[in-house]
Amino acid sequence: MNAATPQRRRRRSIFGQLTAASILIAVLAVAVLFAVTLLTVQRQTRASLSATVSTDLAGLIDIYATAGREELLQRVNDRQAVVSLEGRRSHYLVADGAGRPLAGDIAKWPPLDAARSEQGFLALSDGTKVYAQGARLAPGLQLLVAREYERDSAAQTMLSGAFLGVGAAIVAAVALVAWLTARHLARRMDAVNAALGAAADGRSARFPARSRGGDEIDEIAAHGTRLLARKAQLLKAYKQVSEHVAHEVRTPLMHLDNRLASAMQERPEAPGGPLGQARDEIRSIAAMLDSLLDIASAESRRGDLAGLAELDLSALARSLAELYEGSAEDAGLLLETAIAPGVTMLGERMQITRLLSNLLDNAIKYVPEGGTIRLSVGPGPRIVVEDDGPGIPHDQRSRIFERFSRVTAPADPEGPEKPGHGLGLALSKAIAERHGMILHLGDSPRGAKFILEPAP
Amino acid sequence: MSNLNILYVEDDPRAAEAVRSLLDADGDRLAWEQTGTGGLQRAGAEPFDVIILDRMLPDIDGLTIVSRLRAAGVGTPVLMLSALGRSENRIEGLEAGVDDYLAKPYEPPELVARLRALHRRAAGAVHGAVIIYGAFECHVKARTAFRSGRHIPLSPREFALFRYFMENAGETVTREMLLRDVWNMNFDPQTNVVDVNIGRLRRKLEDGFSSPALETIWGAGYRLTRGE
Repeated sequence: MNAATPQRRRRRSIFGQLTAASILIAVLAVAVLFAVTLLTVQRQTRASLSATVSTDLAGLIDIYATAGREELLQRVNDRQAVVSLEGRRSHYLVADGAGRPLAGDIAKWPPLDAARSEQGFLALSDGTKVYAQGARLAPGLQLLVAREYERDSAAQTMLSGAFLGVGAAIVAAVALVAWLTARHLARRMDAVNAALGAAADGRSARFPARSRGGDEIDEIAAHGTRLLARKAQLLKAYKQVSEHVAHEVRTPLMHLDNRLASAMQERPEAPGGPLGQARDEIRSIAAMLDSLLDIASAESRRGDLAGLAELDLSALARSLAELYEGSAEDAGLLLETAIAPGVTMLGERMQITRLLSNLLDNAIKYVPEGGTIRLSVGPGPRIVVEDDGPGIPHDQRSRIFERFSRVTAPADPEGPEKPGHGLGLALSKAIAERHGMILHLGDSPRGAKFILEPAP
Repeated sequence: MSNLNILYVEDDPRAAEAVRSLLDADGDRLAWEQTGTGGLQRAGAEPFDVIILDRMLPDIDGLTIVSRLRAAGVGTPVLMLSALGRSENRIEGLEAGVDDYLAKPYEPPELVARLRALHRRAAGAVHGAVIIYGAFECHVKARTAFRSGRHIPLSPREFALFRYFMENAGETVTREMLLRDVWNMNFDPQTNVVDVNIGRLRRKLEDGFSSPALETIWGAGYRLTRGE
């Protein structure tokens, strides 16, 4: 297929990125909120445990201070069965100075310094997890009060579970809303994009109608519509001007030509007479005007796919080769072809025919007798017209595609002027570019080598 | 050669006068309308063999006239005669439904030849397996050519050319018709490529005979003789 068709790469959609970002933000927000809540709850639990344990401890110290050691031991044994209102089971230990138990249900003094009234979370020897605080009552007597906090842990686990559930629901909701919004926006954007792409390729384009809100996408679409209208208007104006120029120049030329034709009828002259020459010149002026307008027209439609159709380049090249074979032979030249079958391209048949005719005409015009012209067509499409004639002098290579530039052969500077206006290659180049292709000179040991291939 | 009944829609009286004198000399009847509206009405009301249409008319654009005629079911062949002669303009014309497109300034004999060719094409002449004209014979299936009973060896493309001349025997065939119908090309390179090919066919058809086979009609094209 033709390489002039623009390849559309799948781009990364900003809407996909926005959806991903929304989900990420929702996940992060839920996680931070969860962490903060959990820390607060944990701190609160600890403060509450600390207060409970301290109060209990203070009460027992008070009992010891007022009622003495025996009363304390008695009370400690009584209290062991008590479960607090918060559901926290209590444990106690009254021990001597070396930590040996005297009363209570805790078997062993934990690593808490009673002299400094240390408190903290710890595990008892039977594995029960508690919050405990120790106190030194007398040099040979120390007291430990502990509270289980299993209920508080369970509450925290429930909180975590609730957070995870609600968090997941929030993230899912955000994802759904973001995806739906993004999909809606992406569809509208795609419609605008498709219209812009079509407009750029010169195909018929229609921008989507305004949505209810009239947002930024609507603005882009509105600008696109205005741009299209402006482009159409410019093209129309250009066409009108060129048509009027052509009409206004050609009409008087035609009248002049008619008069010359009548004059020739009244006074017939031999072929090559002045009236015949004048008529030829009139045709030449009209042809030059047409070529200039054709160049302008091809340049104005560069990259425009409108009006292009699939054409069988191989068949066209074979037909042209057959048409030119005789002319080449008459000029003492050999026209060789290497045409791969089934090469097609998107093109304007008349224009491509014209381009190839120009190249073949040039070769026949400039290659001296005994030379060879070679026309090859390959996939790509790549078309090469090369010859073994005098070639293009190096100092002229850069400007042969300019308007009105004529090649002067170095071998034959005084040679007869070749007919033409020097517009053929400029037109060929413009036609190539109008098809998204380039026409350039290839390197060749001798002769000229014109290559037509898709623009890089 | 039958005379044609032709409608010419053209706002420029001088251009119209030139065509009138040309067709009068040929024995054809010309009806002239100066406006697009008038032309459209007349084309719908009267039967014509061929319509010649200027493209830039003051009231309705020539392309629009063709489209409207075609939409209304008028199939009369239309030749657009226009000062807009660039390939782009031709394509626009052909796409609008024009059958042939001739740019001003034109060669008068070419206009006549094209009008006749359009009429012939519309009449849809059917040719048999063997076409005979004067001393020439064209065996379409066998792809062989004879003149006065003598076989003339032709290359495939030369045979296609010969056959085209036989199918249009006695009529003027223009370069553009040959390019279009024999080489399947809708562009005239404006060089002598067609003439060179005709020259080669002519040499083969005339080799060993004293009378010409193809005559050149100046400004228009070529015509096959009876070869007798």
